[in-house]
Order: sequence, then structure tokens, then C-alpha cells
Amino acid sequence: MTGDPYTAEVRALFADAAHAGTADGPGARVDAQGVSVELSAEVSDGRLASLRFRAKGCPHLLAAAEALCRDLEGKPVTALETPFGADIVRRLSVPVEKTGRILVLEDVAAALYRQLATASGA
Amino acid sequence: MTEPIIYLDYAATTPVDPRVADALAAAVREEGMFANPSSTHRAGRQAAAHIDRAAGQLASLLNCDPERLVWTSGATEADNLAIAGAARYRADRGRHLVTMRTEHKAVTDTFHRLEKEGFDVTWLDPGADGILDIDALRQALTDETQLVSIMHVNNETGVLQDIAAIGELCRSRGILFHVDAAQSAGKLPIDLTQLPVDMLSVTAHKFYGPKGIGALYIADRPGCHVEPLLVGGGQQRGIRPGTLPLPMIVAFGKTAEIAAAEQAADLEHATRLRAMLWEGIRDIDGVRLNGHPSRHYPGILSVSVADVDGESLLLSLEPLCVATGSACNSKSREPSYVLRSLGLTDDEAEGAIRFSFGRMSRDEDIRHAIGLYRSAVERLRGMAPAA
Repeated sequence: MTGDPYTAEVRALFADAAHAGTADGPGARVDAQGVSVELSAEVSDGRLASLRFRAKGCPHLLAAAEALCRDLEGKPVTALETPFGADIVRRLSVPVEKTGRILVLEDVAAALYRQLATASGA
Repeated sequence: MTEPIIYLDYAATTPVDPRVADALAAAVREEGMFANPSSTHRAGRQAAAHIDRAAGQLASLLNCDPERLVWTSGATEADNLAIAGAARYRADRGRHLVTMRTEHKAVTDTFHRLEKEGFDVTWLDPGADGILDIDALRQALTDETQLVSIMHVNNETGVLQDIAAIGELCRSRGILFHVDAAQSAGKLPIDLTQLPVDMLSVTAHKFYGPKGIGALYIADRPGCHVEPLLVGGGQQRGIRPGTLPLPMIVAFGKTAEIAAAEQAADLEHATRLRAMLWEGIRDIDGVRLNGHPSRHYPGILSVSVADVDGESLLLSLEPLCVATGSACNSKSREPSYVLRSLGLTDDEAEGAIRFSFGRMSRDEDIRHAIGLYRSAVERLRGMAPAA
């Protein structure tokens, strides 16, 4: 028998995805693994003043995107290039067959970082 | 506080009718009812009389001879017994079998097993509306064909096959015809004195009875016989040995009795709820009905919607209990093979929701479902990147 496929945190993040939307700034998008993920950021003083996501995918992906935005808002832009997929997979108990979708999110974050770095001339 | 659930997953299983639950409880508690119905002493004979009464109740529902019913643990076992049993029994006459890709796993997996045993199986695809083309079936039949198995009502789409026409064709060729009626027995009229059906699988829990009890009807016709799957004991003419679960059978009998009396009202109720549900969601952009618009059992409504992930949709619909595919498939997260057979893309199949309802479903359940579905689709589309 199987229980609830979603942890309480996944359910909470999914239900209250306050960071779903588009930020007033550059964005990046990746379509892969059967999902689409877009991240956009408003940057102020080298920090992520606002980080927003748009995604079409399973609840784990949407919860992971919301968690990422919550975690990184206010952090330096460089935080986007730090790999986070493995941590989120553990934290949200993402099933192994869905880990590729979390890596898509990681790819989008890295792509957004490159865009922001290029825009700032870094 | 947890919201109360809204149960619209009757195709997976129905609630037990309180009158059936009472009959089951009474059968468990009643003095003397524990006796083995195969025993020849007085208690055993009393138990056997209860079995006979239940067989009569089920036979009345299906309009068949009660002697032609074999009790099983459910439709899965009945399907296995009918298909594997008949194929093996008639193997010396021919080893060609025919079925559809859209059958329940209880049927398809049995045919896959028979393929491994050396049988040749033809897998027919339905049209985009889920209906089997009789000419395609006719062309598939050969002199070697011994068995055709086609379900009455599809468990994912509610599509209703013309089992009378299929049966006539099979009978004209001397081929056995098995029908998985798990989704139709007790819900739609089935008259086995009129239908050219040789074997028919039914189960109690799909029409307000308990889980764990089903039956296989086997017609009294030359060549219509099955090789048993189990051995030992000799009960039920050796076709399905094992001590009979008397309380479950008594409950199944009561289930059938109630269904026979209330089928017309249940059908009218389901028809009205389906119309209400479809009217409430059909204007959503990108929504489509899966299956045939008129040849269906009305208690099942399968819909797909574009640009929405099915799993996220299902979670968004809570506390609504519905299915993304057949219940047996829901853990695999693979797009439904039934819906793909109808020509749906993986995305469309993954976004499909099966609403199913029945006797205990209320108008307010349907209204709530409409509201939840509309808001969930809107929210998830709002969260998605531009197409």
C-alpha cells in the first residue's frame, strides 16, 4: 500500500505558491523532461530583490520552484549558480523518477544567472 | 479542520449500500451462518440455502440460470478464469484469441500471459470514439480463433460496446465470447437469455456491494467450458474450488436484488448528474470529452484539458476524489494506455480526469466538482509559462 505521495511541505508550497508569476526583470526558460519552467528576477544592488517562477509540471516541481524563490529572494545573484537540486530532492522527498524535473529547475536558475551576469557586464 | 471528501470515483469502487452492509453484518453474526455450505449436516444445508438464494438474486439481475454462476473473488479472477480457462480448455482446437487494447489490465495481462504460453493474440484498436469496429473484428477472426473478449463498458471512458452484435458474430463462427461486465453489471440492463454471450464477469464492489466477491457466468453450451485455475476441494463443480465465503455471497445477492429494483432510477440519476457536470465544464478552453458522446454508461465522464499537468490538476482538485486514469494505473504515472489508444497525446492523456458517480452522489457534489475543476484549471494555467 502507498501513502500520501506528497509531504506536508510539498502540499503547503503547492497550495500557497505566492511566487508564481513574472518579475520585472530578465528571465530564462527551459522546456525539457516533459515540463516547462521559467524564472525571472528583479535585481537590486547585486541581490535578487524579486524572484518569480512560471511552471507547467507536477506538484513536486511547482513546490520546488516556490521553495527556490522563497529561499533565494534577498540573496546575492550568485546564489542562482549554486547547485541546489540534490538538496531540494531530499528536502521535498521528490521521487527518483522526478529528479530530472528538479534538474530542469536547476538548469533554468543557472541560465538566469548567466543572463543576469551578462546584463550586469560581470 | 480537514475538508470532507467529495467522492466521485465510483468506477474505481462504490460505497457499500447500507442495506447491503446490514445483510453482510447479519450473515456474519447470524447463528449457523458460519457453517461450511459444502457440509451435508443441517447447518451446512442451511448455509447452502443462503448461497442458493444469493445465486438466485444475481441470476435474476442477469436473467440467467443460477446454476451457471461461479463465485469468484472479484472480476479480476473471473476474467482470468474465463480467458485463461477457456483458451487452455480449447487449445487443441486452435490457439488464436482476440481482444482490444483498451480492456482492463485483468484482461490484457491475462492475454499477455497466454501469449507467453504460445497463444496468438490479435489486439484490436478502437476508433477515436472508443468504439470497436465490427468489421475489424470480423477480419481478425480466423478458423483458429477460439475466444473473443470485449468489455461491455470501458472503465476509463464509459464507452459502451455493442456486445449483442459482437456476440452474434462470434456465435456465427463458433467462437466463445467473453464479456468483462465489471462496469456495467447492476448499472445497465443485461439479459443473458437474449445476449449471445458465453461468459460474463461481474463484481459486487462496482455496484454498491462489498469488495472480494464476484462471479463468472458460463453459458450452458457445447464447448463452453473452462479449465480451472485452482485445484482442491471440488467446490463449484471443480471450476473454482475453495470454501465459499457465505457472508460475502449473501451480501452480493442483496447487492444484485437492490440493483434489479433500482437500476432504472440509478441510471436516470447518473444521466442527470453527467449532463450537469459536462454542461458545467464544457466551455473551458481546450476541454474535450474522451470517448463516445452518446454510446456510453452515463456514470463515467472522462475529460482532458490542454496545457495542464494531470498530476497537479488532481492535487488541486482535493478534496475531490477522482481519477487520472484507471485506479489500477494511477500509481504508474504513465499516460493511460486506454486514452492513448483513442489517439490522445501523452500530454492530453496525462491531463485527463475521470469523474464517476452513482446512487449516493448528490447534485451539490457535482456543483462542487465543477467549481473546483474550473478554478484548478485556471490557477494552473496562470502558473504556466506562455505556450
